[in-house]
Amino acid sequence: MQWDLNWFICTLRSSIGKKLIMALTGLGFCIFLIAHLAGNLTICAGEDAFNSYSERLHALGPLIILTEIGLLFFAVAHVFIGAYLFYENFRARPEGYLVKKNAGGRTIGSVTMPYTGLFILLFIVIHLVDFHFVEKTDQTIYQIVLETFSNPGYAFFYIVSMIIVAIHVSHGFWSAFQTLGVSNSEYMSVFRVVSIIISLAVGFGFGILPIYISFIS
Amino acid sequence: MTKARDKSCINLKLKVWRQKGPDARGRFETYKARDVSTDMSFLEMLDVVNEEIILSGKDPIAFDHDCREGICGACGTMVNGRAHGPEKGTTLCQLHMRHFSPGDTVVIEPWRSRAFKVIKDLVVDRIAFEKIIQAGGYISVNTGGAPDGNAVSVPQEVAEKAMDAAECIGCGACVAACPNASAMLFVGAKISQFTLLPQGLPEAKKRALAMVGKMDQLGFGNCANETECEKECPKEISIENIARMNREFLKAGLL
Amino acid sequence: MQLDSKIPDGPLSEKWDRHRFELKLVNPASKRKFKVIVVGTGLAGASASATLAELGYEVMTFCIQDSPRRAHSIAAQGGINAAKNYQNDGDSIWRLFYDTIKGGDFRSREANVYRLAQISNNIIDQCVAQGVPFAREYGGQLANRSFGGAQVSRTFYARGQTGQQLLLGAYGALSRQIAAGKVSLFTRRDMLDLVVIDGKARGIVARNLVSGELEKYAADAVVLATGGYGNVFFLSTNSMGSNISAAFASYRKGASFANPCFVQIHPTCIPVHGTYQSKLTLMSESLRNDGRVWVPRSPEDKRPPDQIPETERDYYLEERYPRFGNLVPRDVASRNAKVQCDMGKGVGDTRLAVYLDLADAIERDGRDVIARKYGNLFEMYKKITAQDPYETPMMIYPAVHYTMGGLWVDYNLMSTIPGLFVLGEANFSDHGANRLGASALMQGLADGYFIIPYTIGDYLAQDSHDTVREDHSAFNESSLQVETRIKKLLSIGGKRTVDDFHRELGHILWENCGMTRKEKDLKKAKKLVADLRVEFWENVLVGGSGQEFNQSLEKAGRVADFLQFGELMVIDALERKESCGCHFNEDFQTDEHEALRDDENFCHVSAWEYRGEGSKPKLHKESLEFENVELTQRSYK
Repeated sequence: MQWDLNWFICTLRSSIGKKLIMALTGLGFCIFLIAHLAGNLTICAGEDAFNSYSERLHALGPLIILTEIGLLFFAVAHVFIGAYLFYENFRARPEGYLVKKNAGGRTIGSVTMPYTGLFILLFIVIHLVDFHFVEKTDQTIYQIVLETFSNPGYAFFYIVSMIIVAIHVSHGFWSAFQTLGVSNSEYMSVFRVVSIIISLAVGFGFGILPIYISFIS
Repeated sequence: MTKARDKSCINLKLKVWRQKGPDARGRFETYKARDVSTDMSFLEMLDVVNEEIILSGKDPIAFDHDCREGICGACGTMVNGRAHGPEKGTTLCQLHMRHFSPGDTVVIEPWRSRAFKVIKDLVVDRIAFEKIIQAGGYISVNTGGAPDGNAVSVPQEVAEKAMDAAECIGCGACVAACPNASAMLFVGAKISQFTLLPQGLPEAKKRALAMVGKMDQLGFGNCANETECEKECPKEISIENIARMNREFLKAGLL
Repeated sequence: MQLDSKIPDGPLSEKWDRHRFELKLVNPASKRKFKVIVVGTGLAGASASATLAELGYEVMTFCIQDSPRRAHSIAAQGGINAAKNYQNDGDSIWRLFYDTIKGGDFRSREANVYRLAQISNNIIDQCVAQGVPFAREYGGQLANRSFGGAQVSRTFYARGQTGQQLLLGAYGALSRQIAAGKVSLFTRRDMLDLVVIDGKARGIVARNLVSGELEKYAADAVVLATGGYGNVFFLSTNSMGSNISAAFASYRKGASFANPCFVQIHPTCIPVHGTYQSKLTLMSESLRNDGRVWVPRSPEDKRPPDQIPETERDYYLEERYPRFGNLVPRDVASRNAKVQCDMGKGVGDTRLAVYLDLADAIERDGRDVIARKYGNLFEMYKKITAQDPYETPMMIYPAVHYTMGGLWVDYNLMSTIPGLFVLGEANFSDHGANRLGASALMQGLADGYFIIPYTIGDYLAQDSHDTVREDHSAFNESSLQVETRIKKLLSIGGKRTVDDFHRELGHILWENCGMTRKEKDLKKAKKLVADLRVEFWENVLVGGSGQEFNQSLEKAGRVADFLQFGELMVIDALERKESCGCHFNEDFQTDEHEALRDDENFCHVSAWEYRGEGSKPKLHKESLEFENVELTQRSYK
């Protein structure tokens, strides 16, 4: 079939195209989250393991920079298109209902998607400032983590954030497959179950870290 | 008022959206529905209320309805925040008053969407659905010259799946119930029917692009996979059809 | 006025082919110069609009609903007949023809019915090509079932929603032509008058139901596909909007009305349960394939159905008609239900119901098989009655369903007004005094897809037409008349609502001109209807104005026409002093209480010509010639 640039752009600009970008970038973040979680959990193997994981990761050099640029690009696309979809959806119903009840389809994840998304954006900025752009010359990443989480306020913020990430993922993950059109009546329930499992893993896996750290310190 | 004491008769308070015309300002008005037999359908209850309104010299509540057996797709309002009322797989005309309790307040609102303008009271203009179908919701065959009906075999499970999608009555409840006023279930059902059947395949690509393109143009919202449409659809059409549409559209647009 | 049916010469099986050859053709390039108005978008109207546009005519299509897809054809449940003989059970065009003629109790034209049977096969092919998801066998071939009045399996179906699927097919074809710019669609328009210029139908006056404005549309021919008049009975299985106004306006303008007393009462409907009831719901007759109809043997037996033992049940259809059993034609099934209830053997609270029991079928085939065939019907029944048909037998009672009568048309489907064509249920042509199950869809689509496209060409090709525009004085006159009538309706300001009058009219007709008729009752009804009409014009309360969306006004106009039409129906019933098919006059019955025809005196179509308000319409008879079938006493024993 002839590949037409015009069509390609048109397709991406359509409602389904925009959702496609949301789905692909979202799935990208899911992969990132899982990788990130696996890395973080090395903290349980002790200070040396965690620091060496961090060192080896940074030894990847250009590859890691490329990934970071990729993630940034994904984030920009996900946030801006998400915001635009939110605006379009808001505009699609200028006059709302006096009474509107859930017919049983909406979940806490689906209802809160734009808001959890916004919160996650804030969290990421803070998180990057705290752990990524932090001065790392005179302390190891392990020390930074320990120090940051020793602030109970921050630990609490972090745990809440991870619960919110989990909520976002609980709808986002299966939803991506629905948007990609790989879902059918048989697979759909599988995707929904996997979605819950991943969201629990993310929420629990990340959320447990501050608690674990407070125990070991 | 001996009837009111009868177990099978109830009194209700209705809060109904009244709007003179497309550009007029609307408001809620309250009516009393007395001695409503629980065997009545929701629309019959409105008939009775309207009779009283007419006799009192006022303008009766306008609402769309026709077949009153759940197939024409003309009727439909929000009833207490639910499209076609609280019963699953039911159009408004098939909703019976036995599902309400004495003294209930019933809020009745028109479908709300930028693409569906209110014509009067509870009547909305669903011309957008027509435009979507006109964009490609058919198989392009002229009358005459069709091959024998059995010339192409269609596996039973495929025919059944196509029929599941084809059951759509075009009432607009999916749009009304969707938090984003999206029409994806309606469009997905039509695209699915023709994608599943061998007769529809030659135009599958063109159809998917044209129908989705038209839908986007008409001001419907985007699907966020909230699945409210499937839950409110009086024909219980599955969101599997939305996935199929997505697949067909992306295949057509990108490959 | 002379009725000329224009039935072609030659052997029955060659008539249609020969006729098509003899019909004049419109040059393809000239077709776009002809404007055709199609009123109604059910199976007949939508298929005609689409096909005429495909041929190149400029089509204007009107419907009262907000979408063509909502026309009442959508509610047909059971299926559509075709003489495909896919089941190899001995079906043929001839057999479908014969069943239809016999089912109609020999009151239809041989040539028309034969053509219908011939075309039936093309319809299935056409619909399959359009993507109608008909039921299939495991091997992927089209499935069939048997239907009332037939001993072969020739009914094609799409679950219990065949009408919906066929209409969506035609609607798709129509939508395609709208997109192509060949059809202009006008929704929410109510045709209120036919404009006749120089004796030819040249346009319509329609009310825009949203703005209330009266609009004029001129054309070279007008096609009416506006359905039947079952709603004259108030309670019927028709949709709430179904009305006779367009057909009746044409009648007033000179189109003869044929056999208005032929009204089919469908045997399997959900019984009436209250005075507020607005319509009756049909349960597809296909249920009779697997269901057994019964009542308790004794009128005193008030036990719930599951407590009545087999020996104390009266399976009256199986006993009286061993050969056809529960599958006897609709009129026979309906009348027998009434007889049982009149004997006090009716069931349910009102005692106006009989049981339709699928327990044996569920046991034989399993719940899954039955659910696949009838699942949606069962659900519908449960929603309305709050009873589960899987557990307890359904209760059914006959209800007004279909009207065989309609505007008189010749073999070309043209009425007595040149240029006015009438299709589908709105005409009288193919079903005689009783329609067989699954034949209405067949006729609607035959008329629209395969007959009108040829015959309208013949009319347009041979007639020299001056161009007529909407500013012609006849349009103004017509519009003025309509406006005057609307103003009159609004100005009465009486004490009774439109529905109130409609309900009373329905009651009069159901009691006196319904399933069984008697001369005495008919005479009474004639007077009652006339009196009610007088009261209507003095005491109706409509409300609102004409310049807005006003559903009460829409109804008022329709009921006003029904009040006039109701009398015509009674007059026709009085005139036909015989029993045939659905017209069962108690004074004319066999010893076994079956309809007794009088072929000597009544083997004709009664076509009524309007003679002005207050004057008795004039009867014209088109005698029916039977050259290929022998007129027999219908027997389903």
